[in-house]
Amino acid sequence: MTAVHQPPSAPPPAGPIAGGPPATRPPSAEPALPGRPAARSEPRTGAARLVPRTVAGRVRVLTALIVVALAALLAVTWSAVADARDGVRVIGHDAGPQVVATGDLYFQLIEMDAQLADALLVGRTQNLGVKREQALESYDRSRRAAGAALLQAARLADDPTEERTARELLDAVARYERLAAQALLLDEQTPHDAGPPPERVLETYRQATDLMKLDLLPKAYNLTLDNGTLVRHTYEDKRDAVTAGRLWVLGTGLVVLALLGGLQLFLFRRFRRLLNPALAIATLGTLVFVGVGFTMLGGQADHLKKAKEDGFDSILALSRARAIGNSANADQTKYLLDPARADTYEQVFLSKSQTILYVKADSLAQYSGAVQQTGKENDYLGFLGSEFDRNRLPSQSQALNAVFTDYRAYQRDDRSLRDLVAGGQRQQAISTRLASPDSSFGEYDRSLGGLIKIHSTAFNDAIKKGDDGTAGWNLVIPVAGIVLVALVLAGVRPRLSEYR
Amino acid sequence: MRGRRIGAAAMAAFSVLGAAGCGIAGADEVSLADKDRLVIGVNKDQPGVGLRTAGGGYEGFDVDVAREVARRLGVRAADVTFKEVTSATRQRMIRGGDVDLVVASYSITPDRKRQVAFAGPYYIAHQDILVRGDSPIKNVRDLRGRNLCMVQGSVSYERVTKEKGVAARLVPATGYADCFGKLTAGQVDAVSTDDLILAGLAAQTAESGGDAADRPRIVNAPISDEGYGIGLRLGDADGCVAVNKAITGMYQDGTAQRLLAKWFSPVGLKFTTTVPQFEGCD
Repeated sequence: MTAVHQPPSAPPPAGPIAGGPPATRPPSAEPALPGRPAARSEPRTGAARLVPRTVAGRVRVLTALIVVALAALLAVTWSAVADARDGVRVIGHDAGPQVVATGDLYFQLIEMDAQLADALLVGRTQNLGVKREQALESYDRSRRAAGAALLQAARLADDPTEERTARELLDAVARYERLAAQALLLDEQTPHDAGPPPERVLETYRQATDLMKLDLLPKAYNLTLDNGTLVRHTYEDKRDAVTAGRLWVLGTGLVVLALLGGLQLFLFRRFRRLLNPALAIATLGTLVFVGVGFTMLGGQADHLKKAKEDGFDSILALSRARAIGNSANADQTKYLLDPARADTYEQVFLSKSQTILYVKADSLAQYSGAVQQTGKENDYLGFLGSEFDRNRLPSQSQALNAVFTDYRAYQRDDRSLRDLVAGGQRQQAISTRLASPDSSFGEYDRSLGGLIKIHSTAFNDAIKKGDDGTAGWNLVIPVAGIVLVALVLAGVRPRLSEYR
Repeated sequence: MRGRRIGAAAMAAFSVLGAAGCGIAGADEVSLADKDRLVIGVNKDQPGVGLRTAGGGYEGFDVDVAREVARRLGVRAADVTFKEVTSATRQRMIRGGDVDLVVASYSITPDRKRQVAFAGPYYIAHQDILVRGDSPIKNVRDLRGRNLCMVQGSVSYERVTKEKGVAARLVPATGYADCFGKLTAGQVDAVSTDDLILAGLAAQTAESGGDAADRPRIVNAPISDEGYGIGLRLGDADGCVAVNKAITGMYQDGTAQRLLAKWFSPVGLKFTTTVPQFEGCD
């Protein structure tokens, strides 16, 4: 096998002098030879008692230790891979997408209320951009989508408080529907042209929209927040587990390598062999396994982080911004629809606008002026402000700039609408608003959708990489285990056979 | 033998690595969700909301909310300590760790959210108008040419004069209690600030009786949304979630509605009885 192979000339004797009484021999006189019990000058105590006296015994114990350490290495790798896979599954395929879907609940509820307002505002007038039938069809679509999202959110609810919120939401949706039906019926009974409907219609609509604003929307939003917490916890737990598991892999890997090195050294000293090829390959194999495993787990922690921070967080925040923007746009309609509450709706429009993009302002006029100034994006707060701070993806800043530009245009248009009303031309404002419904808002909403898409792509990429990263490890781990154990055994077997 | 020694050394090195891994999570301060004792900051000078009593205790809606939240976080009443905060000190006290929570008509704003975390809001107050019982004022536009109380340092009167552009005549006062005195004495026609604060002021006279026609009343024409949040240490997301859960529970079992009725019903404030939309903790 090797150039320096010097087998012992005879089967190992039991003692220094075959048949001789061991007790007469001075304990430390002879040098240790292969096969001899380790000569000790002092009585063996403590852990030393556990070390076998024969070389064969020692080789066996070292081998057993290596196999145990290898098993530990494979087990911690298995568990870290399982954690990584679990994290990717929950964030990428399970709770993550579901949470994004429940965000849709808020969006669709707002859409229902906005379409109801449009249907009531437009009345029997047919020559405007918005028609009653269209508004009602959109209303129905949103109602169905809201129902689906609510079901999803209820399924994600994981404690009694959240479940109760989901039940209360279901109940409130039914009450809203009843009020909406009443308002529409009353409105049909008293036909009117585009503009504020008769007082008793308004009264019923106010009840409906109050229910939406005060009861439905907050609960829907809070439920999505709760669901988001679930994803955050999973992410933190799994990412910590993967990071810790990675260190365990490194640690147990080092132990295996140290034991393999120890065995190699022991064989070298006892058998005068420079290298045991099988053990050398096993050592190299372990090194590669630990190195690849360590790197892979680092990559998995990274993919999880990217999926969560560049993908999920932004998607969720921007979807909320989108929903709140939709609701602000509905408040613009209501500002025209309900003159008695115009002040309140204007104030709410300002506060929602500031939630989306915050700049300090005392009034809506001041706000729309302030957001027009470019180059101050650094000072922006609110959803779009945080998005500006989170700028990490390629083409994100371009998309965000488009969102800013369109948002400014939307605020400008809103300003001119309100100036018309302030100048006593409410009817003119209503016609303008309805003639080209949501034109600048639509632009802004589409840009925001584009920005969300960039994050969705980043999210999907990270999840895909996460899926691929652990792919095959279910096979790699047992195969590596079998191969490494076989190599170790192959390495020590010829040596042990020398004692038979 | 050597192998074992090396192995032992590797094991030792490894347990250090493992400990370092755990240290990342352990470096954070304790979440208030896990505390057995709580120090809660409240106001001392807002009747009905947060007021220091003659006996040295505190009372009001905010104080009751604070007690309820603490109870729902599993902290016994005996382990809750109240501490006075003001608009000027509350942020510093949260950041310095002098208080765990602040429940003190603390409006959530994007600016403030950079310094402290907010659970809630537990209530959305609205700027409204308090007038004498026989007043014809119905909304903010009716304040044109009327005497409106102006508290220096408060932004409430500016919302009427600047934001709404209503040309009211401003009458300076030292605080809202002073405004209230001027209102009943006829020196001002209206006081405008958060409805809960107005209701708290008005409730004092409602309790002391008097002619219903003279009794100040709230117009119920809101011109702003002020989400009253519960301030806590920035970064304590779990604590924030726990407080939100407590608030949700308070609305679900009727506690919040009962407390609102207890403090604000006597003056006919139309308060909202449903859980507000939270800010979120992440």
